[in-house]
Amino acid sequence: MIDLRMEYVSPEGLRLDGRRPMEMRQIRAEIGAVSKADGSAMFEMGNTKVIAAVYGPREVQNRSQITNHALVRCEYSMANFSTGDRMRKSKGDRRSTEISLVIRQTMEASILTHLLPRSQIDIYVQVLQADGGTRSACINAATLALADAGIPMRDLVTSCSAGYLNSTSLLEDSAGGPDVTLGILPKLDKVTLLQMDSKLPIDILENVMQLAIEGCKAIANYIREILLENTKQLEYRRGV
Amino acid sequence: MVGLSLGEKHFIQGGIAHDLRCDGRKRLTYRPILVETGVIPQANGSARVRMGATDVIASIKAELGKPSLLQPDKGKVSIYIDCSSTAEPAFEGRGGDELAAELSNALQDCLLGGKSGAGAGVDLSSLIVVEGKICWDLYIDGLVVSSDGNLLDALGAAIKAALCNTGIPRVQVAAGASNDEQPEVDVSDEEFLQFDTSGVPVIVTLTKIGRHYIVDATSEEESQMNSAVSISVNRQGHICGITKRGGVGLDPSIILDMISVAKHVSEQLMNKLDSEIASAEAEDES
Repeated sequence: MIDLRMEYVSPEGLRLDGRRPMEMRQIRAEIGAVSKADGSAMFEMGNTKVIAAVYGPREVQNRSQITNHALVRCEYSMANFSTGDRMRKSKGDRRSTEISLVIRQTMEASILTHLLPRSQIDIYVQVLQADGGTRSACINAATLALADAGIPMRDLVTSCSAGYLNSTSLLEDSAGGPDVTLGILPKLDKVTLLQMDSKLPIDILENVMQLAIEGCKAIANYIREILLENTKQLEYRRGV
Repeated sequence: MVGLSLGEKHFIQGGIAHDLRCDGRKRLTYRPILVETGVIPQANGSARVRMGATDVIASIKAELGKPSLLQPDKGKVSIYIDCSSTAEPAFEGRGGDELAAELSNALQDCLLGGKSGAGAGVDLSSLIVVEGKICWDLYIDGLVVSSDGNLLDALGAAIKAALCNTGIPRVQVAAGASNDEQPEVDVSDEEFLQFDTSGVPVIVTLTKIGRHYIVDATSEEESQMNSAVSISVNRQGHICGITKRGGVGLDPSIILDMISVAKHVSEQLMNKLDSEIASAEAEDES
């Protein structure tokens, strides 16, 4: 293990999977993964693959929860086959509940809930393959799905993580060093999600955060391209 | 949940009576089937099957385990289905568990044969490594990503495709171990054995609406059903399992008629599916 860490960034400046420290994994997105949902998207970051589906805005199911702004709900679940070792049933365990909460809060920050009173928006994210960074991938997928559903938002929230190892900041790493997950509203330049485990000196945190912000912005650009492409397709199909 | 007006209900029923359904299909026509294999790299085999708006993924994982005492010469296969809440908001939390259990049971009945393992679509004795000591445990996981009716047929097709895609690692057993200790094994990560999947049946669900029955019902059509019979038929035309769902009782003669129709339909479905799987496999390899 120690050996692995020492060599984590090779003398040539490459990581184990051949990426440079500032390099992101390959990302891929697709709109309309679930045809029955009001909005849906698939998002891949390297080997991590998630599907998000949005139902709503629709009538509030539980009448006692009616308010004068939209109710946002989120459920995160992992498929049995998503991890290397097969696991059984994780619906409703602590980790999924925590991630559901994180995704809900992050998305709620960008949805213009006051425009949709007495209504409910359900976001469901399903992890098909987990290979690190599921949190970020879920948020990115949820953003795309919300945009596909035509729900009014302040901005496209995007998320990315960055780590720090052997005095180098690394974009999207899973080597076990400090890991900062960041969600931002790229146009407004505001942070909506910030999570870090283990410890990091403050001046280095600034660097790592900066790197994560760059990552988020790159993802935001990509998401914008995908949405534009999708809109063009819709326009073409309408014959405009 | 499907909400239909009275007019829509009559439209669906009338269409079926006239052999022209809402999407232009005849009573015994399937929606186009799309098969993709190798979608989950971590699994030994996987496939995604789409029929219209129904979208399911099946993955197969093989783990080394110990055969049961009652059947020392057979491996074990288990099927678990999960209904993702992405498919329907009603599946949130534990809401999908009931349907998932129903589907898992029906698939087990249709694909795995009886308790003794006789008549199973997968040859259980091919899963044995050392008799009485080591065998492969196959875990078949199905995930419903999007549901628009006919989940059972889609899952059956996905499992069939995933089995065709499955490679089981070759296992070398160290010789010289005495009889009562667990032998040492060496699992190869280069050589994989393919499965014999010619015996895996397909499932045809006939949904009875009014006086007629249809295949590949959408969820709108399913909401109008009296009862549904799922019949699994293999290559030889043998029936491997039958399950009936729905509240209304059926005349035994109708069931026999349904079986003969299902047998006829299954031939076309089997051919269609096999060619789809072959082209998906070819694409996966390239």
